[in-house]
Amino acid sequence: MNHPLDRLDIDNAWCKGCGNFGILKLLKKVLTELEIESKQTVIVSGIGQAAKTPYYIDTHMFCGLHGRALPVATTLKVSNPELTVIAEGGDGDMYGEGGNHFIHTIRRNPDIVHIVHNNMVYGLTKGQASPTSQKGFQTPVQVKGVTNEPFNPISVALALKAGFVSRVNIGNYAHAKTVLKEAFLHTGYALVDIFQPCVVFNKVNTYKWFKSNTYELESTYDSSSLSSAMQKALENDPIPIGIFYQAESVTFEKHFREDEKEALFSLSHDLGKLQEKFELY
Amino acid sequence: MKEIKIPFQATISQSAISLPRYKKEEYADTQSISILIGGAAGTGIKTLEKLLSDTFRRSGYFVFSTNEYMSRVRGGSNTTLLRISNQPIQAPCWYVDLFIALDADAILHTKERLTDQTIVLADESVTDAQIAITAMPMMKTAKKLGNTRYANSYVAGLLFGMLELNSDMLLQSIVNVFGNQNQEENEASVQEGSLYSQSLQILPLPKFPESISGLINSFHLIDGSSAAGFGFLAGGCNMITAYPMSPSTGVLNFMASMSGEFTLLVEQSEDEIASLNMVLGGWFGGARAMTSTSGGGFALMSEAISLSGMSETPAVIYLAQRPGPATGLPTRSEQGDLDLAIHSGHGYFGRIVLSPGSLQECIDYGYLAFELADRYQIPVIVLSDQYLADTMGMLGKIDFSTYEQRRYIQSTDALYDRYQFSDSGITPRGVPGLGTGIVVATSDEHDERGQITESYQVREKMVEKRKQKIELVTSEAHSPEVLGQGSIAVIGWGSTKGAIMEALNSLDDPRLFQIHFAWVHPLDPQSLKILKQTETNIVIENNVTGTFADILKSHGIKIDHRILQANGFAFFADLLKEKLLKVLKELS
Repeated sequence: MNHPLDRLDIDNAWCKGCGNFGILKLLKKVLTELEIESKQTVIVSGIGQAAKTPYYIDTHMFCGLHGRALPVATTLKVSNPELTVIAEGGDGDMYGEGGNHFIHTIRRNPDIVHIVHNNMVYGLTKGQASPTSQKGFQTPVQVKGVTNEPFNPISVALALKAGFVSRVNIGNYAHAKTVLKEAFLHTGYALVDIFQPCVVFNKVNTYKWFKSNTYELESTYDSSSLSSAMQKALENDPIPIGIFYQAESVTFEKHFREDEKEALFSLSHDLGKLQEKFELY
Repeated sequence: MKEIKIPFQATISQSAISLPRYKKEEYADTQSISILIGGAAGTGIKTLEKLLSDTFRRSGYFVFSTNEYMSRVRGGSNTTLLRISNQPIQAPCWYVDLFIALDADAILHTKERLTDQTIVLADESVTDAQIAITAMPMMKTAKKLGNTRYANSYVAGLLFGMLELNSDMLLQSIVNVFGNQNQEENEASVQEGSLYSQSLQILPLPKFPESISGLINSFHLIDGSSAAGFGFLAGGCNMITAYPMSPSTGVLNFMASMSGEFTLLVEQSEDEIASLNMVLGGWFGGARAMTSTSGGGFALMSEAISLSGMSETPAVIYLAQRPGPATGLPTRSEQGDLDLAIHSGHGYFGRIVLSPGSLQECIDYGYLAFELADRYQIPVIVLSDQYLADTMGMLGKIDFSTYEQRRYIQSTDALYDRYQFSDSGITPRGVPGLGTGIVVATSDEHDERGQITESYQVREKMVEKRKQKIELVTSEAHSPEVLGQGSIAVIGWGSTKGAIMEALNSLDDPRLFQIHFAWVHPLDPQSLKILKQTETNIVIENNVTGTFADILKSHGIKIDHRILQANGFAFFADLLKEKLLKVLKELS
């Protein structure tokens, strides 16, 4: 059965059983349920297997460079605030190559949804460690096992006071859907870190591993407290999933233009004013 | 879907925009005087420059000023050169008529620029075994009036007294530059300086230019960064994302100063990689975006330039050159990045490199950069340098309503393919949210829809499409400006324009004429024909090997002489004249 958001006539490059399929299905489902118009939606991605998602869903797309989706997404949103803008890619793309942009995009707070497929391994380059790989994880490059401390996107985002910080496990589909929906409804930057297995290169962090090593944040959990969010973010045995923190603040595009929402391409250009300014010299 | 109108909508089928060519500046009977001010950073050298430029301009003179400074906030030894004339001046000179040393180091730093005729003014505390100094009680008087800062107005007063100019204009400029604060003290300081000048025993001064008085009001005193900024705004720029880097920061500052007046996003990016990716995100969404940087930052943008080429997303990059490699000389000048500008980024794709040579060209090519990026959907690099960016000069009337506005954006329908093949290689550019089509940008090799492909047949066609664009750009490339006629072409590009012009005027040799390239890449072979008809071609460039001369050579142009320099300075008109004379002697 085709989904109305399917891009037709495509050659999907993902491996059988890949967690990416679940994320693609989830994204289509959430966009449909929230009635977000596909022709008003842009997915910006970088490079990697996760970053191929936009090729398989019928929205606008900007598939750019490895690690660079966030700066593109930020100014795209400013250019046309009426668009729904998603930045999507893998853990290597967003936390490794694009680490600097991850930090500074959070500080800017554009109204975008940032979806990171986190499988703790590099797929497209065939099995090296990612920034989120766990200590001891052996690869053809990290032959003695990973010795670097794993990157914790949740605590980093919280340290920067990101307005919406969440993590889900694609193996827990219903929960993931609830959280992703909230991310879209949030005004401002929203991080959704999605645990997913790489069925080819990561034989440790499997569907089963994610299931037995995660738990949903309690229904009594207060997501408005930054300090309790930080505490939860540092837990790793088991790892909490859900919305860690949520607080809205003025977005990047609102700082630029408070009230206007028209796309920049629809604006005229005041050469008279330019002349006036020039005459002051 | 609601109806959105695109203002100034245009298509590729409209013929390319050409720029007006300006008449050669008249230099007959030019009278000018040069004043060099030297001192440490933070000691008022900039204030004095501002004060004197303002007041000489009010008094009816063309003013030109340029500075060379060290890469530090305080201290060191910097100079500012002022040239006052009855004609527009567009180049610095090495030897000066008058030198004002604000401290002893300034004399050491500047010795080579002084001649037997140079009048050297310095505070009475400064001495030098070789240089005859006309001492003035600058610091003593300023202290007496309550603050060493009044030294600036004292020197200005003294200068005006020496030159026998009416000090009313100076008093007005003092209010203009300093505001009403301490007006009394500054005025007293001017009077003291003026009074002291009458007691001075000095060498005869060169003939002071005649004032053109009120006529000067139709001219604008502006620096190269601001002029470029006006150009970018004329081109419809509404977004600049940049990381500060000397000497490009002037443009970023200028745009920030205008952001309250226009719909203009100014964002300081976390690094230059973000800068250019943000520019691409902006254009993809329908904005007109640019970044500003220098060589080191531009090097970080290479991959995104390649993405601009592959995804056919327009981009405008203002690259103000400084000497490299690596950090090099951060606050000095060179034309060393032409090869980098032309070749940065992996893979084969088209781009345009423009290199303005005057304030007028800063505006014209700043404007044109946006037009061309939009028209051909490629990166356009505006190559300036520290000298041009930081230099102030005078610019005639500009009518911004003559800068034609075009926006090459189309509404899309459901059948729209972003990379559809066409005769010109150009596919009309859609933007998300305008029409019913899907708009994409793809970094991977792609088919007409923008989907990834590894089909060798599609690859061949896409390579051909991008090549077709280069051919189109080349066929519409602007030809160089030919100033005068003769058998010996003196060829330059970018910021050397003014120095070459002045040197040739001063030489007044009927064999010599100037060819100036502001459009430096790609070159249209048709427009180079003139260089095959000359007897001798001399190329002048501010880099060590003659990058542009090599490019001309690759087009089959014979290069007989190269006048090169790579010492951190721009070309000085008087020294360039000497070098040209030497070359001419070798020829005969």
